[in-house]
Amino acid sequence: MPPARLRDGELLSGAALAGLGVYIVSEASQWSFLGPTGPGPGFFPVCYGVAMVVLSLVLVGRRLFASRPARGGEAPNRHGVAVALLTWLAFALTIPLMKYLGFLVAFGLLTFFVVVVVFRRSIAAGVAAAVLCPAAFQLVFPVLLQVRLPVGRFGF
Amino acid sequence: MEAVRGLLHGFGVALEPVNLMWCVIGCFLGTIIGILPGLGPAATIAMLLPLTFRMDPTGGIIMLAGIYYGAKYGGSTTSILLNMPGEASSVVTCIDGYQMARKGRAGAALGIAAIASFVAGTIGIVILTFLAPPLAELALSFSSPEFFALMVLGLALVVLLAGDSMLKAVLALLLGLWLASIGTDLFTAQTRFTMGQSDLLGGIEFMVIAVGVYAITEVMLSIENREEARLLPVPRGLRNYLPSWEELKACRFAFLNGSLTGFFIGTLPGAASSVSSFVSYGIEKAVSKRPELFGHGAPEGLAAPEGANNADSSGAMLPLLSFGIPAGGSTAMLLSALILWGYRPGPLLIQESPDLFWGLVASMYIGNVVLLLMNLPLVPLFAQILRIPTHILFSIVLGVSIVGAYSVSGNLFDVLMLAAFGLLGYVMAKLSYPTAPLVLGFVLGDPLERAVRQSLTMSQGDPSILVARPIAAVILLVAAVVLCSPLIRRLVGAGRRTAAT
Amino acid sequence: MRLSVLAAVAGILVTVASAHAQGFTPTRPVEVVVHTGPGGGTDAFARAMFTALRKDGLLPVNFLVVNKTGGGSATAMRYLQEKTGDDHTIAIFSSVWITDPLVQKEAPLTIDQLTPISRLVLEPALFVVNAKSPYKTLKDFIDAAKANPGQLKQSGGSVLARDAVVRHVLRAHTGADWSFISFPSGGERVAALLGGHVDIMMIEPSEAGELIRSGRLRALAQIADTRIPGFPDVPTLKEAGFDVPNVPQARGVVAPPKMPAAAVAYYEDLFRRASQSPAYKQYLADTQLENAYLGSSDLAGFLKQYQNQMREILKGAGVAVVR
Repeated sequence: MPPARLRDGELLSGAALAGLGVYIVSEASQWSFLGPTGPGPGFFPVCYGVAMVVLSLVLVGRRLFASRPARGGEAPNRHGVAVALLTWLAFALTIPLMKYLGFLVAFGLLTFFVVVVVFRRSIAAGVAAAVLCPAAFQLVFPVLLQVRLPVGRFGF
Repeated sequence: MEAVRGLLHGFGVALEPVNLMWCVIGCFLGTIIGILPGLGPAATIAMLLPLTFRMDPTGGIIMLAGIYYGAKYGGSTTSILLNMPGEASSVVTCIDGYQMARKGRAGAALGIAAIASFVAGTIGIVILTFLAPPLAELALSFSSPEFFALMVLGLALVVLLAGDSMLKAVLALLLGLWLASIGTDLFTAQTRFTMGQSDLLGGIEFMVIAVGVYAITEVMLSIENREEARLLPVPRGLRNYLPSWEELKACRFAFLNGSLTGFFIGTLPGAASSVSSFVSYGIEKAVSKRPELFGHGAPEGLAAPEGANNADSSGAMLPLLSFGIPAGGSTAMLLSALILWGYRPGPLLIQESPDLFWGLVASMYIGNVVLLLMNLPLVPLFAQILRIPTHILFSIVLGVSIVGAYSVSGNLFDVLMLAAFGLLGYVMAKLSYPTAPLVLGFVLGDPLERAVRQSLTMSQGDPSILVARPIAAVILLVAAVVLCSPLIRRLVGAGRRTAAT
Repeated sequence: MRLSVLAAVAGILVTVASAHAQGFTPTRPVEVVVHTGPGGGTDAFARAMFTALRKDGLLPVNFLVVNKTGGGSATAMRYLQEKTGDDHTIAIFSSVWITDPLVQKEAPLTIDQLTPISRLVLEPALFVVNAKSPYKTLKDFIDAAKANPGQLKQSGGSVLARDAVVRHVLRAHTGADWSFISFPSGGERVAALLGGHVDIMMIEPSEAGELIRSGRLRALAQIADTRIPGFPDVPTLKEAGFDVPNVPQARGVVAPPKMPAAAVAYYEDLFRRASQSPAYKQYLADTQLENAYLGSSDLAGFLKQYQNQMREILKGAGVAVVR
């Protein structure tokens, strides 16, 4: 398979969905399909699992046998995608951090990251945002609305 | 006309200054908690319950009900401004509301949402006032086969929600169906697709998926495109904060559609209000003369679901007040409040406690007016949110999303799922898979599977039950029409073109 | 008015005094974990109970209901596991806390690993049919089910719920067979019965009371050891001629594993006094719940026995039991 194909999102997503479909059907086939009193827990997943396998293979097939090689048009904005994924990674990493540092600190760090690294503002602006945003959240959610926020090991 | 006499009596009760005050307080609280994810109406009512215990019950129920339907008003605000649904019922509002905001019509969108909510809410209460007994019986004739038909109608809508590729839309739908069946099977207690995680035993929360694929994904897309201002701030000047006459005219049918669809689906215990907003959106698009505008900021695509989720809350009052059957968490809280105060909600409530019953109904008319008067002046204020610098706004969106996901069950696992769905939504967007079918599949997956299995158990495996009952058959027919609507439209359009040439 | 204020003050004084005697009294708000969302059965019960107890001045600090939903009881139980040793967290258990871990291999722990505090209530239930239905007694229904095996339908909850369990016990006892249709919410179950889509259901008396009084439903039998006060004319299962073991549905208080003994003694005493509080008793009377207080060690025995009973019944019903 030529490397261009490997980077083709359509093919990859089709293959991934086909794999998911196979997983769904193989799991669901262990459960009762039609029980004595009507369809069992395996009935519905087998139906949509099979549909998923078939349709994703259609997608892959269409792509493989398409006459035009790959979609041209807009050039991929690599830098933009990288920054977006980096932001996501920071967001995702904030979550386990909350278990130890609590929402306020973790959210402050995330805010700092977004302001300074993603949007390239000055560090002073970052610090200000990282202090003010969590403070506002603390005021609105736990204080005014009594919504609980994750609390870390240090009691805040 | 007993209803008229009752209603007049009710206005006498509801217009007492103290009750009026509770109504305004309830509506205000409802609007606030509707705007912010994190505290739903059910949790708010639960929190306030101990305080209302010492209040006069009529004032108390008027206030608590105000929180319930007021939350539906507020829920659209963040959907429109930030693509972040504030309540489960306002997910569909994101589709066209956010697109309107991106075109600089955020003020108009907020205005339409408020007006649609008012119109549909009021029509819903009128129906509740005058048609409650026959409609209550009609709702009872709905059972699993009819639900099945309703869910098929819902699934048919995916055709209408599809973007460029039908194949990808259906695949996204199937993915949604799969996500919906993760967890413990109700019928057999079989655990499915939990991968050994006890966190997944209860399945995935709807809000986690919705906020993930809408809000988080949107933040990532904006950051990728380096858009300093992805949303155009509303130009100053009163006219820009109000919907134009053309926009309102486009919504005429949507107001009615939202009202009726929302009310009727609301009367069915077991149909979530997100179902009614999806269905009304689908109907709106199916009958529209300009379906190509949907998904790109069509005002009627905003008005229909926004109206539906408000009419839905009037509809949900019907089984509550006529049989004592709650339709969801919020109405269950209202029910337990009534019991705590010593009332006996059921078929005899209207005769034995007319003050409470009619006072509550009348207060809902007043509440809708109050909400409209409260929400319209807030539009310019909310629209200012879009003037917040992007780097701060995005941080706030991420923070609010975390709070919303965490508060669902106080479990950080849900926040991790939120991040995962944000990434999924981003990947889907990059590969041009539409996300609306995914959310629709998730909403409908569970009730669809349940309806099929219940129906087939009822008929002892005979599948004809799914199509043989009259109401079910009619709904399936409508679904067939919806499925074929693009085809019909093409045929009609072709016919017109040939006629013209 | 004066008197009630005095009583409240006296109540607080007594609370403080007795708590001091035991060496533990909560100093900050106590978290009360429930496994349902706001408005769900246990949540509504917990909120109503603590509202009543506050009214009677029994609570020295706030008791905040915390919803840990998901996986039946799994999320709530794992939260308690995280709080091991904590003395400011308690939880309201219901029967699913006992049955869920029996069938979920992913479940984090079983109920006997938690600290038992008190049993609070037993919930009776009623077998009801639509008032238009031909069945006047439970025997009519069973006979009809025998004549048409599998034709009649019962609406209910999950396969682990008590209605499913009672149906299984009755089927095993009588040899009759009828189908069981699961609906997730109580509202849908009643609606199906009211609409005539199913033939029978088991329901809590407080849910059915008004529908029976207004002539929409008819009660055939009650699932309780003795007749409950609200329904003096409805026979118990035994009186209706079906001598089957009673399947109780209990609610009560448990605490995280390894809660300090002083705190256990405090909460046990708190709920013992709660069981005599007038506002709480009024609430139980309104909702037809049976006041069935048991202390910590008795509760442990009750839970053990209940777990064994359910394990046998579920196995008999063909449910895959994992522990």
